[in-house]
Order: sequence, then C-alpha cells, then structure tokens
Amino acid sequence: MIGVGKIKQYSNILDKPLSKGKQEVSLSAFAFLFSELVQYNQTQVDNIAELERRLEDAGYAVGARVLELLCHRDKGNRRETRLLGILSFVHSTVWKVLFGKVADSLEKGTEHEDEYMISEKELLVNKFISIPKDMGTFNCGAFVAGIVRGVLDGAGFPAVVTAHFVPMEGQQRPRTTILIKFAEEVLRREARLG
Amino acid sequence: MIVCVAVVGHQNNPLYIQSFTDADDALKLHHIVHCSLDVVDERVNNPKKSGPPLNETFLGLLYPTENYKVYGYLTNTKVKFILVTTNLDVRDADVRNFFRRFHAAYVDAVSNPFHVPGKKITSRTFAERVSTIVKSFGLSSAG
Repeated sequence: MIGVGKIKQYSNILDKPLSKGKQEVSLSAFAFLFSELVQYNQTQVDNIAELERRLEDAGYAVGARVLELLCHRDKGNRRETRLLGILSFVHSTVWKVLFGKVADSLEKGTEHEDEYMISEKELLVNKFISIPKDMGTFNCGAFVAGIVRGVLDGAGFPAVVTAHFVPMEGQQRPRTTILIKFAEEVLRREARLG
Repeated sequence: MIVCVAVVGHQNNPLYIQSFTDADDALKLHHIVHCSLDVVDERVNNPKKSGPPLNETFLGLLYPTENYKVYGYLTNTKVKFILVTTNLDVRDADVRNFFRRFHAAYVDAVSNPFHVPGKKITSRTFAERVSTIVKSFGLSSAG
C-alpha cells in the first residue's frame, strides 16, 4: 500500500523487521512516479479527453493484475457473481490493498438503475496535484477509475467508470467521486439471478 | 504421472499448453484438453444440486477417459487450468495443492507488465516453475 513506512528510520539495516507478504511503498516515491506519468502523457496528446483516456488505460492494466493477485491471496476464495458482492469487494479489499484504508462511501445512484458511486474525501493520487484552470474538468483520478474498470472487467462485469469532482460546502477541496455505470447485460444477468 | 497442463483464457482461447511425455501424441492431449472445456462450461452454467456451490474454484475430476484423468480449476477471471494425469490413485488434496502452486506461478506470470492479457504466456520463468511443480507432484503422491 502507498503512504506507509516512510517515517521510521532505522540506524542499522539489520534492525529493520523482515517483511513478508504485503509490501509498503513510500508515498513520495509514488507521487513522483505518478507526476512523471502524467507529464509524459501530456506531451504525447493534443487534448484533455485523450490524456484522460491514456491514464485510464494505464489504470486498467493495473486493475486486471490486482484482481488476479487478490483472488489468489484470499485463501477461502469465492468467485463473485453478484453485483453487490463485487462492489463491496472493490470498495473494501481493493482499496485496502492499494491505499491502506477502505473507501469513504459506496452509494447507489438515484437517477439510473445502473449507476453506483464510490466517494473519497481526498483521493491519494490527487494529493499533490492541483489542476490548472484551463484544463476544465480534468481529474487525475481517471487513473483510479481505470483500476476499478480493470477489476470489474476481469471479474465479468463490464462497466464505464469515470472520476468526478463534487464540491462540498464547508470544505476547501472538492470530494472525488468514482462513478460506475454497468453495462446492460450485467443488469439483465443480475435480474435473472434474482 | 502428469502428462499435460493447460491454461485456457476466459474466451476459451489457449494461453499455455505444455505436455510432459514424448511417448503420447501431443495432438491427442490437446484434443482431450479441448473436450474438457465443455465439461467446465457445463459445470459452471448448470450447477448440480448436490455438487459444489456455484462459485467454487476447484472443480475436481472432470471426466475419466480410458487411461487419463482430467482435473479442472477455475479462477475469478474465468481463466481455467486443466490437468491431465495418468495416475490411477491421485489424492484430492494433492491435486488441490498442485493447483494452488500453479495459480501462484500464473499470477506471477500475469503481473508482468509486458504480458498482454489474452495473448499466450511466453515467460521462460513460468515454464521453468511449472516443470518444477510438475516434477514435485509426481514425487509427493508416490510416498
């Protein structure tokens, strides 16, 4: 997970505890790498939509692999076939492995049947990023949206996933929401399963 | 004696097929693997009332032919592992153990950023690990 294990300095490398299993990555290393990823993609594209698509594709590759890894680590593994099952899997297990905590909230959309939202007060990838005014509604959380799309696609729930800023009263920085819109066949299958 | 292992993707496309004996015809083994995919699909889509629950990973003995036994294993992403063996008295626990280690090797191969999902697995490390696991399977079940 990102953002852990940076503060403690051991005087002697032999005193460091042996870590097994879950690896910890320092937040600054990830932030530098992610900023370089965004900058590199910015030089390659002409418009904002293309940049967002590239970040999402990068996240998609991560998501597919994270799903395989998590399913193997989870000993009493059961394949998720229900919508709520896979959503709560993404919301708690995937978030815990990637960011060290569960997501802030999972909501069902009110307007459409097939929309669900995962919100986070401060998305970790956006922590050190401020979007210039002329980029409009671009959100680097597109990377996380790509990860979610990769996980859902691999598990057999095709969906369109996007990231949005939602301004909150009383707070300086807007909240980030990942909007998940499932494909038709997923809803039909869910209705058939009862 | 394991004669063949195969990894099949979620659209039934082959990702990795390896046979471990020179005696038998490789084509016949490929054919057996191909036929067993039908049995996997049938198990997944129509669960028997007394069979394993719908979302179990280890599928067990798929079908016995004249001198082979075929075992199946299904992962979360609909990727199937097929194992063809000539042993007559394989224990269930041994096969489960084999699939667990095989799954670990598979996850490591897929985590490669240069691996394109849906294409064949070309990693030499994966092939070496698989042959190690296959060799140790024979030894452990003999004792």
